Amino acid sequence: MSRVIEAHGFTNRVLGWHAWLDVVQLADASCEQIAVLEESHPKAKESDYYLFLVHQPEILRQRSAAFNAIMYAPGGLPRAERELASTVVSRINGCVYCASVHAQRFEQLAKRDDVIEQVFNNPATAGASPREKAIVQASIDLTLAPGQVEPAQLRALREVGLSDDEILDLIHSVAIFAWANRLMLNLGEPVG
Amino acid sequence: MTDTYDLSTDIVDRIAGLSPGSPTHATRHKRDKVAAATQRSYEALFDSALLDLSLTERLLVALYACTLSNAPALAEHYAERLASSNADRAVIDQIVEGPLNESDIQEPRLRAMLSFTRTLIESPIDGDKTALERLPAAGISTPAVVALAQLIAFLSYQIRLTAGLRALQVLNATELA
Repeated sequence: MSRVIEAHGFTNRVLGWHAWLDVVQLADASCEQIAVLEESHPKAKESDYYLFLVHQPEILRQRSAAFNAIMYAPGGLPRAERELASTVVSRINGCVYCASVHAQRFEQLAKRDDVIEQVFNNPATAGASPREKAIVQASIDLTLAPGQVEPAQLRALREVGLSDDEILDLIHSVAIFAWANRLMLNLGEPVG
Repeated sequence: MTDTYDLSTDIVDRIAGLSPGSPTHATRHKRDKVAAATQRSYEALFDSALLDLSLTERLLVALYACTLSNAPALAEHYAERLASSNADRAVIDQIVEGPLNESDIQEPRLRAMLSFTRTLIESPIDGDKTALERLPAAGISTPAVVALAQLIAFLSYQIRLTAGLRALQVLNATELA
C-alpha cells in the first residue's frame, strides 16, 4: 500500500527532525542518559529529539514510560484508533512531524488510509464510520477546549459503542499528544 | 524520587475527583503504568533538587498555564503550592487576575519563561526558533530550557487528562444516581 497523501502542508511521508539548540553528544552522555535513551525508543540514540530531551534524563524517562504505556498497551481502544486520535490532535495543533509518524502507524495497523486523507483535508468532518467520527470529534474538542469538556461529549462516545476502558485510552491518547506536539513544534523542526 | 507509586497521593485522582471504589477510579487504575508514570512525571518536574530552574519559577509557570487553559482546580493546586514559596505576591496576583501582560514582569528571566508558556499553551504552532532562542538569551541554560518545555507540555497533558477524567466521573455518577 503506502500511497503518498499531501494536503495543507501535512504529509504521510517519512520526515526527520532537527533540534534548534545543542543536543547531548553520545560520547559525553552519562550512564543514566544512555539507559534512558535505550528505554525510550529503539532509535533514540540517532534522534535529535531524544538527544535533546535527555538533557533531563529523569523527566524523559517518565515521559517515555507514559507515552509507551498509552500507545502500545494491549487491550482497550484498538491501537489503530489511538493512532487516529494522535493524528487528529497533531493535525489540529499543526504538528506536521507527529501527524506524519502517526498517520503511517495508523495505515500500518488499519491497512487503510481513507480517514488519514480526510483528517489532513478537514478534520472536522473526518471519519469513515459513526464510531470514527465520534473519536475524531472528541479528539478535536479535548484538544481545543479542555476547559469546556462536558459529560455529554463522552456520552456520544458510548453511543457509538466505546466502553469506559476505551474512553480512558482515548483521553490518554489525546492528552499525550498535547504533550508531544508542543515539544516537537517548539524545540526544533521537521526536515526532509 | 521514590520507586513506589503511592495511590493515596495521586494528584490527578485528587484534581479529577476520583475516589477509590468509584467506577472511574477503577477504570483509570486498570492502566496503572500510565497513572504511575503520570505521577512520577509530576514529581520529577516539581522536584526541588532539579537544578537550573527554581521550584518557584516552575510553580509560576504552572499557575499561568492552568489559568490560561481555564483549569481552575489545577490552578488552585499550584496557587496553594505557591503560597508556601518565596514567590512575589504581586506576580501571583497578576497571573490569577489576568490578563497578564508579560512585559509588565520586571525580571527578564521570568518574563521570557512566561512568554514561552503562553505561546506553547495557547498557540503551539506559533513557536519558532526565534521564540526558543529568547530563553538562552535571558540566561536560561539548555537543560533548563528542556525542563521548562517538558513542564509546559506536561501541563497541557495534565489539564486534558484531568478534564476528561472529571467528565467521565460525572457521567458515571449521573447514570448511577
